[in-house]
Amino acid sequence: MISDRIKNGAYYTLLWAVSLLFFTPVAWIIMSSFKTREEILATPPTVIFTPTLDNYVELFTENQNFVQQLINSVVMSLSAVVIAVLVSFLAAFCFSRFKPKGTNFLMFILLSIRMLPGPAVILPVFLMFANFGWKDRHLPLVLFYAMFSIPFSVWILKGFLDGVSVRFDETGRANGASWFHIIFRVVLPQVKPGLIAAFIFNLIFVWNEFLFNFVIGGVQTQNIPYALAVGTYSDGGLNWTFIAALTSVYILPPMAFIYLFQKYLLAGMTFGTVRGEV
Amino acid sequence: MSIRVSGLSKAYGSHSVLDGLDLEVERQSFTVMCGPTGSGKSVLLRLLVGLETPDAGTISLNDVDITGYSAAQRSVGYVPQSFALYPHLTVRANIGYPLKLAGRPSREIAKRVDWAAGVLDINHLLDKKPAQLSGGEKQRTAVARGLLKDADIFLLDDPLVGLDYKLRERLMDELKSIQQDLKATFFYATSDSLEALTMAEKILVLDGGAVVQKGDVVDVYRHPTHRRSMELLGFPRANILPVERRGAEVSAGPFKLDGAPDGAALAGLRPEAFSLGDKDGVKTRATIQLIEDLGGEQVIYAEADGHPLTWAVATHGLRIVEEGEAVELAVDPDAFVFFDGRNGARLNNPAAAPSAEAAP
Repeated sequence: MISDRIKNGAYYTLLWAVSLLFFTPVAWIIMSSFKTREEILATPPTVIFTPTLDNYVELFTENQNFVQQLINSVVMSLSAVVIAVLVSFLAAFCFSRFKPKGTNFLMFILLSIRMLPGPAVILPVFLMFANFGWKDRHLPLVLFYAMFSIPFSVWILKGFLDGVSVRFDETGRANGASWFHIIFRVVLPQVKPGLIAAFIFNLIFVWNEFLFNFVIGGVQTQNIPYALAVGTYSDGGLNWTFIAALTSVYILPPMAFIYLFQKYLLAGMTFGTVRGEV
Repeated sequence: MSIRVSGLSKAYGSHSVLDGLDLEVERQSFTVMCGPTGSGKSVLLRLLVGLETPDAGTISLNDVDITGYSAAQRSVGYVPQSFALYPHLTVRANIGYPLKLAGRPSREIAKRVDWAAGVLDINHLLDKKPAQLSGGEKQRTAVARGLLKDADIFLLDDPLVGLDYKLRERLMDELKSIQQDLKATFFYATSDSLEALTMAEKILVLDGGAVVQKGDVVDVYRHPTHRRSMELLGFPRANILPVERRGAEVSAGPFKLDGAPDGAALAGLRPEAFSLGDKDGVKTRATIQLIEDLGGEQVIYAEADGHPLTWAVATHGLRIVEEGEAVELAVDPDAFVFFDGRNGARLNNPAAAPSAEAAP
C-alpha cells in the first residue's frame, strides 16, 4: 500500500515537472508582456516585478494595424472552419452511408492533399490567385483555408459517422423523415464530439497559418502570425515588448478552446474510432 | 387485403434471400410470420417498410401498389429488431417521435405517449435517456414508439425476443388487445412458437424465402404440411428424426417402422406422442437424461440409439421416470409425420392430425 502511494506520488511529481518544463516558455512570454523592455532583458531575469499594462496599451492603440489583424484572424479562422466542417460533415455522411464506388481511394486522395507541404503548392496557388484577382481579398482566402481544412475533417467525421448505426437513419425513414431531418436532426446530434474535434483542429491550423497569408494575402487580409513575423524587428533589434504582448493575445483563444474542449480533442485524434465517454 | 406481395425477390450479391415470394395478409388480422433464422423474415419486413428495394415483384398495401414508394410515403408502423433509440432524446421524445415527425400538436403527442408508456409499463422511465435503460426497457420503448404511428398496418420484427418470461407473456396479451383496439393489421415476425401460438389468428410459415404453409394457427399446428411448420410450432419443439432404409427395413430415428412413403427423409413426432412401453405401438429403449419439471407438465429429454428425444407429459406433479433410468418408450405408428427430403413437404395423409391434439 505504502509503496503504491510512493509510486503514485513519484509518477505525478514527474508529470508535473515535465508539464511545467514545457509550460516555461509560455509562462515566460506571458510574464514578459507585463514587463518593461529593461526588465525583459535584465540578467539575471527579474522574477519579482511591478506589472505594467503599457505593452498592451501600446499594441492596441499605437500599432494601427493590429486591431485589423486581430479581426482578420478571428473572422477568417471562424468562417473558414465553419464552412469546412459543414461541407466535411455532408461529404463524410455520403461516404459513410452511400459508400460510393472507390470510397477508400477517394478518402486516400483527400488525405494525401493534406499531406502536401504548403510550399509545394504555393507557386501554382499564387499564380491562380494573382490571375483571378483574388489576392488580398477575404473571401477567396477563407475558401482556400476551408479547402485546406476539409480533408482532415472528412476523415475525423467519417470515423464518427461510421460509429452511428444506420438503424437510426432507418427509424427516421420508416417514420417519414426527410434526408435533411435525418442528417441534421438524427445523425448530427450524435457526432457532436467529432464536429467539435474537427472544428478545433482546423481552427488551430487556420489560426496559425502564416505562409499562404503572407503570399496570397495582402494588406487587407493580414493575420496575427503575419503581424508577428513582420513586427518582430524594429528600431534595430528584437521588439520584445511587442512580441510578448502580441504572443499573449495570440495564444489566448486557442488555449481557452483547448481547455474547454480537451476531451473532444482526444476523441478527434483517434478519428472517432475509439469512442470514449464524451 | 391489407398486405399483398407477389413475386417478391431480393438478393444480396449472389445470396438470394427471397425468391418470388407471394403472400397475403388479411385486413385487421393478427398475422404471425414464423420462420427459422435466415428465412428472410426481417428482409421481408424491411421491404414492406421501404428500407430495402426489391429486385423484382410488387408490394401492395391496402390494395395500392406501393412498390416504388419511398419509406416516407408508406404509412406503416414498424418495430425494428434493433431498438435504435435516439441517444440524445429522452424516452418520452423517442416514443413520441413518429407523431412529432407527422407534425401532431404537442398536447396530443403527450397524451398518446402516456397511453403507450402505460401499456408497456414504462411511465416511470419517460424522462430518462436510453443509455440509462436496461435492455428490456429499451425494447419496450421501441415497441411503444412503433405503435405510436398513425397507420393501420403495423410490422413487428420479433419485438419480444429476449424479454423475461413474465413480461413477455403480459406483452403478448397487450399487443393482441392493442391490435383489436386499433382495428389494425398486425404483421408479426417471430421464431418463437409460444408467441406464434398465443397471438396469431393467421400464420405464415416461411422457409428458404418462400411461404411453405399458411392458415389458421390451430389448423397449421394440427396439420403441418411442411417440416418447418411442425418444427416451429409447438412447445417443446417437435422431434424431427431421420428416416433410413436398409433393404426392406425402415427406421425413423430409433424406431423400426413397417413402412414409410416414398421419398420420406424426415419423420416428425410431437413431444406428446410418447408413452411408457406398456402401451401398444412401435417401441424403443431410451435412457432418461434430464427432466424439466414445469409443475403440471414434465419435459423429459431422453436418448435412444444415439437420437435425442423430447417427451412432454402431463404428470400432475408425479415423477413417472427418474434421470438415468432406462425405459421403453412406445409411439402410435400413426403419429409419425413424414416429410420429403428435398422440399420438406409432408408426404403421408396430410388430412389427418398427428395424435397430439391440444395446443399448449
